[in-house]
Amino acid sequence: MARNRQEWLEKPAFPNTHFVDTRVYTDEALFKEEQDKIFNKVWIIACHESEVPNKFDYRTFHHPGGAELIVVRGEDMKVRSFYNICPHRGNALLYEPVGNAKRITCIFHAWSFDTKGECIDISRGKQGYQDRYECKDAGLREVRTEVGFGGFVWVNIDDASCTLKEYIGPALDMLEEHMSMDLEVFHYHKAVVDTNYKLWHDTNSEFYHDYMHYFNRATGMMQPGYFDRKYTGYPNGHASVGSMSIKYDAYSGSQERAVGWPGLAPGGWILIDIFPGMTYNLRTSVLRMDTAIPLGPNKVIIEFRGLGLKSDTPEQRAERVRDHNTIWGPFGRNLHEDLLGVHGQGVAMRERTDSKWVIHGREENSTIHDEVGMRHFYHEWGERMGRKPFDPYGDNRLAKTEAA
Amino acid sequence: MGQIENIALAAGSRVLVEELVYSTAMRMDEKDFAGYLALCDASYKYRITAYSPEIRKLMTWLEHDHKGMKLLFDNLPKHNSDQSMLSRHVTVYTVKFEDGGKIADVVSGLQVFRTTNDGGTTTLFAVGKMHDRVALGDDGARLVDRTIKLDTRMLGIGFHIPF
Repeated sequence: MARNRQEWLEKPAFPNTHFVDTRVYTDEALFKEEQDKIFNKVWIIACHESEVPNKFDYRTFHHPGGAELIVVRGEDMKVRSFYNICPHRGNALLYEPVGNAKRITCIFHAWSFDTKGECIDISRGKQGYQDRYECKDAGLREVRTEVGFGGFVWVNIDDASCTLKEYIGPALDMLEEHMSMDLEVFHYHKAVVDTNYKLWHDTNSEFYHDYMHYFNRATGMMQPGYFDRKYTGYPNGHASVGSMSIKYDAYSGSQERAVGWPGLAPGGWILIDIFPGMTYNLRTSVLRMDTAIPLGPNKVIIEFRGLGLKSDTPEQRAERVRDHNTIWGPFGRNLHEDLLGVHGQGVAMRERTDSKWVIHGREENSTIHDEVGMRHFYHEWGERMGRKPFDPYGDNRLAKTEAA
Repeated sequence: MGQIENIALAAGSRVLVEELVYSTAMRMDEKDFAGYLALCDASYKYRITAYSPEIRKLMTWLEHDHKGMKLLFDNLPKHNSDQSMLSRHVTVYTVKFEDGGKIADVVSGLQVFRTTNDGGTTTLFAVGKMHDRVALGDDGARLVDRTIKLDTRMLGIGFHIPF
C-alpha cells in the first residue's frame, strides 16, 4: 500500500543499526564534519608507487579532507608527501598531475624546495627579510606517507595517527599472498559523479545489486557457491567478501582465462573494502582499486585503477587489459551500470527531495546478499562522527510525534 | 594513365572513403548496429585508446574484432544503460592511399555530443581522433580497422555504446 507523508517519515521497522537517515548523504554540515573527523584522520591511498618510478618523479593528489598534495620520490628513493602550497603567498607549487622535479620551484616568486620538503632558496631573501625569515622557516608541510599493501602510496594528514599497518589490521590478510610481487598500474581513469561517496562504497559493500547486472543475475548468480560467500568485518570499518570461483564460460562474451593471478584459483574473486572509500577487487587477472574522493555531499571523484604484474610480458598484459575492460572499463559491462545506479541515488536523495531512509536490513547469515557490510561501515562512521547514522541530529523523534 | 586521370581517380576514391567514414558515424548515431557492421570487413578490428598522463601510459579502453563488436551490440538490450542520444561529428582530415589505391589510411577529427532525453540538453561528451584503414574494391569501400584515440578521459558514468 502506498504511504502518506507521515507514514513515509516513520522509522523503518528494523533495529536502528539497519537503516540510515539520508541526511548522512546529503547534508553539507555533516560532509564538512566528515572531512575533519574521518578523512583527515585516516590513511588514504594517494597513488601507486609505479606512478612515481624514478627519483624526483611526482604526482599531485586532491586529498578528500580538502588539501592539495604532492607525492614525490626523493633522491634517496623514499616517497614523501607535502601540501602543494607555497608557504610564501599560497600558490600551488606544482600544476601538472605528474612530472619530475629535482627542485620544486614556485612559478610566482621562484622560492625553491627539495624533495625532502626543505626550502633551498628564497629569491633575494636576505635583501627582503634580512635576518627575520630564512629558508629554515619556510619548509613545506609534510604529510605522513607509507608505501604498502600492494605498493600503494598511503597518506595521513593526522601527525598523531596510528601506523598504516595498525590502521589496516588483519583486513588485507586474505590478499597479502597475492600482492607479494611488484605491481604496476596499467589503467587509470576517473569519474566525477553527482552522488555521495558513501553510496559508491556501499555499492562495493553489497552484492545484492547483482540484480542490476544482467550477466551477474542471469548466469553468475546461478553458479554453485555464489550464495556461500561471506562478509567479514574488521576493526576500523574495513570488510571483506570471501573468494568464490566464477564460472566465466557461463558468462556470455567472456573468454577462457589463461593468465590468471598468482595464487588465485582460476575464477577466484576477493573483494576488500577499506574504510572510508577504497576497495581492493581482485578478479580473473586484474587487481582493481577504487578510491572515492568526495568533493561535497553530492559530488565525488572516483579514481579507477587496473593493476597487473610489473613482470608481465606484452601478451600477458594485453590479456589483463582485455579482462579489465570487459567488466570494468569505461565502456565495460558492469562499471557503467554501477555508476548509473549511484548517479540515480544522487538524483533521488538530493536535499529537499523528502527522501528519509536508506535500509540496510537484509540478514542472510552474513552471506553475499546480506547487508552486514554496510552496517559494519556505518557503525564505524557513527563512532568516528559521534553521531547516530539513523538519527544524525537527534531530531528524528519529531517524525514519530507527527505520525502519532 | 595520365596525371589528371590519376588525380580524378584519387578524388573519386576519397569521396568513397569519406562517405564510408561518415556512414559509420550515422549508423552508430541511429543505433543501426547491423548497418554499421555491414560497412565493416569480416577482419574488422576496433579499439579505443587514451593516453593517461597520470600513469604515463597509453591505455586501451576497448578492443574487439567483428565478432566481438556484434556480441557487444547484441548484449546492449540486456544492460541497464544511459539512454541519452550520442551524435558523432566527424571531419575527415587526411586520406593516404596505399597498394595502388586499394587501401586508404584515414585520419579524422571526432567530437561526440550527448543529448539527454529529459529536456534535450546537449553537452560535448568526448573529443579525439579516428584512425581508420579502409579497403577499396569492386564492391566499394569497407572499414578494416578503426582506432579511436580519445583526448577526453573523463566520461562521467561511462557508456555501453562505443563511438
